[in-house]
Amino acid sequence: MPNETTSPPQSVNVQIDGVWHQFPKGTRVIEACEQAGKYVPRYCYHKKLSSPGNCRMCLIEMGMPKMGPDRKPELGGDGKPTINWMPRPQICCAQDVSEGMGVRTTSPLVEECRRGVMEFLLINHPLDCPICDQAGECRLQEFSVEYGNQGSRFLENKVKKPKNVELGPRVTLDDERCILCSRCIRFCQEIAHDDVLGFIDRGSHTVLTAHPGKRLENNYSLNTVDICPVGALTSTDFRFKMRVWFLKETKSFCTSCATGCNTLIGSREDVIHRQTPRENNDVNSSWMCDYGRLKFKYVDSDRRLLEPRVLQNDKLTATDWKRAIANVALQLKHFGGWNIAIIASGRMTNEEMWLTSRIAKSLGTQWIDIVPHRGPGDDILLSEDRNPNTNGAKLLGLTSEPGAMIPKMVEAIKSGSLRALVVLCENPLELGLTADELRNLPAFITMSISQNESTDLSTAVLPSSAFAEKRGSMINGDGRLQRLNRAVRPPGNARDDWEILRDLLQALTDSNGVYTIDDVFRQMSEAIPQLAGLSLTKVGDLGLQLVNIDESPAPPRAPKEDDIELAEAKRPPGR
Amino acid sequence: MQAAIARYPKDRQRSAAMPLLHLWQEHFGFISDAGVNWIAAKLGLQPINILELVTFYPMYRQQPAGRKHIRVCRTLSCAMAGSYDLMQRAREIAAGDPNISVEFVECLASCGTAPVCMIDDELHENVDPHSIVDLVRNQQPIVRPRPEPHRLEHRLIFKNIGRRDWKIDIDTYVADGGYEQLKKALTMSRAEIINEVKTSGLRGRGGAGFPCGVKWSFIKPDEKKPVYLICNADESEPGTFKDRYIIHEDPHQMLEGMLISAYAVNAKTAYIYIRGEFPEGAQILENAIEEARAKNFLGQNILGKGFDCEIYIHRGAGAYICGEETGLIESLEGKRAYPRIKPPYFPAVLGLYMCPTIVNNVETLCHVKHIIAMGGAQYAQLGRPNNTGTRIVCVSGDVQRPGYFEIEVGKVTMGQLIYEMAGGTKPGRMLKAVIPGGSSAKVLRADERFKIKDRQPDGSTIEREMFIDELPMDFDSLAAAGSMAGSGGVIVLDDSRDMVWVLNNINEFYAHESCGQCTPCREGSLWMKKITDRMMLGGGVVEDPKTLKTIGDNIAGRTICAFGEACAWPTQSFVEKFPDEFAARAKKPIPPPLPPELTPEELIEDRQVPVRPLAHDPGWEKAGAAGTI
Ligand SMILES: Cc1cc2nc3c(=O)[nH]c(=O)nc-3n(C[C@H](O)[C@H](O)[C@H](O)COP(=O)(O)O)c2cc1C
Ligand code: SF4
Ligand code: SF4
Ligand code: SF4
Ligand code: FES
Ligand code: FES
Repeated sequence: MPNETTSPPQSVNVQIDGVWHQFPKGTRVIEACEQAGKYVPRYCYHKKLSSPGNCRMCLIEMGMPKMGPDRKPELGGDGKPTINWMPRPQICCAQDVSEGMGVRTTSPLVEECRRGVMEFLLINHPLDCPICDQAGECRLQEFSVEYGNQGSRFLENKVKKPKNVELGPRVTLDDERCILCSRCIRFCQEIAHDDVLGFIDRGSHTVLTAHPGKRLENNYSLNTVDICPVGALTSTDFRFKMRVWFLKETKSFCTSCATGCNTLIGSREDVIHRQTPRENNDVNSSWMCDYGRLKFKYVDSDRRLLEPRVLQNDKLTATDWKRAIANVALQLKHFGGWNIAIIASGRMTNEEMWLTSRIAKSLGTQWIDIVPHRGPGDDILLSEDRNPNTNGAKLLGLTSEPGAMIPKMVEAIKSGSLRALVVLCENPLELGLTADELRNLPAFITMSISQNESTDLSTAVLPSSAFAEKRGSMINGDGRLQRLNRAVRPPGNARDDWEILRDLLQALTDSNGVYTIDDVFRQMSEAIPQLAGLSLTKVGDLGLQLVNIDESPAPPRAPKEDDIELAEAKRPPGR
Repeated sequence: MQAAIARYPKDRQRSAAMPLLHLWQEHFGFISDAGVNWIAAKLGLQPINILELVTFYPMYRQQPAGRKHIRVCRTLSCAMAGSYDLMQRAREIAAGDPNISVEFVECLASCGTAPVCMIDDELHENVDPHSIVDLVRNQQPIVRPRPEPHRLEHRLIFKNIGRRDWKIDIDTYVADGGYEQLKKALTMSRAEIINEVKTSGLRGRGGAGFPCGVKWSFIKPDEKKPVYLICNADESEPGTFKDRYIIHEDPHQMLEGMLISAYAVNAKTAYIYIRGEFPEGAQILENAIEEARAKNFLGQNILGKGFDCEIYIHRGAGAYICGEETGLIESLEGKRAYPRIKPPYFPAVLGLYMCPTIVNNVETLCHVKHIIAMGGAQYAQLGRPNNTGTRIVCVSGDVQRPGYFEIEVGKVTMGQLIYEMAGGTKPGRMLKAVIPGGSSAKVLRADERFKIKDRQPDGSTIEREMFIDELPMDFDSLAAAGSMAGSGGVIVLDDSRDMVWVLNNINEFYAHESCGQCTPCREGSLWMKKITDRMMLGGGVVEDPKTLKTIGDNIAGRTICAFGEACAWPTQSFVEKFPDEFAARAKKPIPPPLPPELTPEELIEDRQVPVRPLAHDPGWEKAGAAGTI
């Protein structure tokens, strides 16, 4: 779409349903109407994609100012331009507002146009609503109630088209439901840069398809399901599992990479059923990748840890939280700082990291780092950094270069100079440590959401919460502070990570007083200049851009060799 | 293959997709999956991009055809002349011979010699169920002499059509004074030429009748982007068969017109978009281009005047919508011919490759040559004010001497045209109706009275009531009569015609040709066809005429391109003007609303079968859409 953006933004006056409004130049008419409170129904238009104008649902009446002989607009009694209404309805999804333009979104002609388009769309549409996943968020259903006709006068055979077509590993297509709006095709071309969808055949027999040799399998394929205005494209994963109107939607963001795409988590009765992208033009536009979207299954895994456990008689035994925390504190207090290492995680929230760094201070250890996680990235959204909060870890002083200290720690554990290890939300077996080495550690504390080989070797296991089960904040790769909200409750006796860490800190420092996560944030904001004056509430649904996040406090200093040698080793209660 | 690719700008290789598909099909007989993949890889495209084309353009086959492939025209003028019987016979021939295949195709732009068929690349005129047997056997087209110009004609464009002493080579053309106007034009300034064309009052002959000079002046004189000129040789509006003769019998006139026009709008590249069903025409034009190049009438530094211009041919593949200028541009870019929304994609601003582009009809471009010869002012003396010049009118259907007639616009009446020039209705038959501007024009009843404003030489107007015979054949009069001059295709219907049948034939054309991009046209065109299908089969219900009309109302004016009007106008006008005939075929009671639902078959057979979950297509309709039977 040609768009002149060179001239400075100017306002233009537009009359919408009799009322004059001002809009910045370059505003699409359909958006202007919406801003003026006059929503115009649409199918093919999507503000993030090009406008083919093919569905014809957004027809409205449009007029331009009447020009006088002096080539200036003629003014009416109210001092406003007189409008020359065009005899034909116009689409409003492909044109920008212009000075003196008039629009009617509710007139007999407009209503007749909408009724007509609705009828055309429905004549060949199957009567599938009772078994359609889109029911509840289907534009066809919605608009047909609002703008449609009652009853059908279509006596003919419907056009038969393929149903249940697997377009790719994750997306299933029902061509009979497709209204040929081409949103999915344009998404693949314009956003995913993977031109795999197209229309074949012609006229009313046109069907959407992918070439059999090149399917819809790019990492963004599920966005087509989101933008399909009807139930033609469905997520093979979500299909038939749940009626959408039963879902509770919680605003959150994806924690599978440093981009932090904003999301809605759809859940019911503490079970997550889907994640969908939530618009944030500073982060992810309206999209998210399939990898991140589908990475929530582990939340509901049957390996989730449900009870804190401590080692008793060489067996990890369930206990209550009070005893577990006291046990862990006791284990750690046996060691001097230089004997203790903390392997934290770039998947933790700022609040958790802040408490972790305070714990490290109280223990007197500088052996602390996060584990880097990297993978291939792309130029669309997916970041190579698969930790969602590397920037938080840097800002809060857990690391200056993620993973730089890990090999030394591993070495020190192998050599026996490090004797107590605290692992938060990571698996040390992935870092080159063997099961025997872990088993020989006098104190090996893990905080984790699910059972794995390393938790089995621990001297204490603290079951914590997945990203969808907790509140807290993270800082994405671009330095944007974003907020997680709790969508579902953690299972069993698992707790919010920050609460576990707070209680541990209190047990280690013998202080008490129950404070809230907002108190944690306040402490942080008082100590960290980049967070000054902020609060979790202020972070808001769309996050906040931080400045100068590279100027983090001095990173933990690597311990000197002699420090370690001098350290006094005490037998912990566990082993 | 490389030559085909080289005809398009370097970064526009996708445009070569259609030419490569033609080459592949000529070589292998059909487009296999391997072909799709190979062409996609060759042009750096995805296979789906090619599959989209193969399934959009009916001339591309995904299955092999017989060694002899017969295409019978199904559309109105041929159908009235018996093409369904012809098809029946052709099918019988094919049934007994595995080397022969047949298909029904839409209008082949030879309606004046209906019924027609093509056997492989050759057109056969006035074919009947007997002669087709011989034709299939020895394939020699029967050449009939072209009629002499009628005394009411004024031949300018068609001066050489049917001339006994005429040959299509460049020497004949030059000996006849050809390319003199190009020489003259190259001595004029661009603005001068555009001015002459404006003064001439020339209006487009492709259908819309838009003033040609005004269109040209949309091109900025200091335009920085390349400008393209496209000659619209897609001639496919049913009832229209004029460009065919220019292309086949006077190609240099067309090239000269194009070269002058390209010079006027500063286009260094011009394309001829020629419909796929004119393979011989495309070859003739290729040869003509080479002849002209040899004489430096095109190419670099034309006639030493510093103007460079290349003309390339781009063949369509059987889709009517490629005649619509923005659909044509998309097709030329190597895509499905989906017309573009206007605004913002006015061709003169954002046309081919998003560059300023002028699209003109073949005949329009030929007129430019004569405007240069005569001068705009003198040209404007031909015809009537605002309806200047000559134009070729094509008469087909129920007349004794169907054919083409070049007349001074508005100087001949409908009565003269039908009764004097075309020989009148068949013996014993009366005029019932006329479709005056291609099948999409609204039908006129023979007994209607039209209120026409007559513009007097002094500029004043007087209103006159006219009979159909008196209607001047010009843009404004036919518009005032509630129809249009359109593409100049006059289809005559006599009193033997069943109007529901006629409309049904037209509806089938539009349902088949809708590109399917926008909702009202895509769904409405097929719905209208299904209703008239059912009415023809005896299943009409009382509501049908009203439903038909409102479907038309819901299409016209609400679509991306003017195909919407083209497909709605016939229905709207037939139902309105022949209410009794439609009522007579729409007598059944309306079935109760869903459920129970009656399928069309049940309506037709008069059975009352209750509750049936979902009615679906029997499949023949899909077969029809793919163009194979
Ligand atoms: C559905 C449709 C089909 C058309 N087919 C043709 C055609 O076959 N040939 C043609 O010259 N113009 C055709 N036109 C008109 C073109 O869009 C365009 O107006 C014309 O080529 C402009 O040339 P002119 O100004 O010289 O008439 C068609 C228009 C529509 C809407
Ligand atoms: S599948 Fe959905 S998004 Fe794609 S064209 Fe059909 S209706 Fe539109
Ligand atoms: S790009 Fe990253 S943050 Fe966004 S959805 Fe994918 S994994 Fe999640
Ligand atoms: S009006 Fe018909 S032919 Fe034109 S764009 Fe729409 S669907 Fe295609
Ligand atoms: S939303 Fe405007 S035409 Fe589809
Ligand atoms: S050629 Fe058959 S109808 Fe035109």
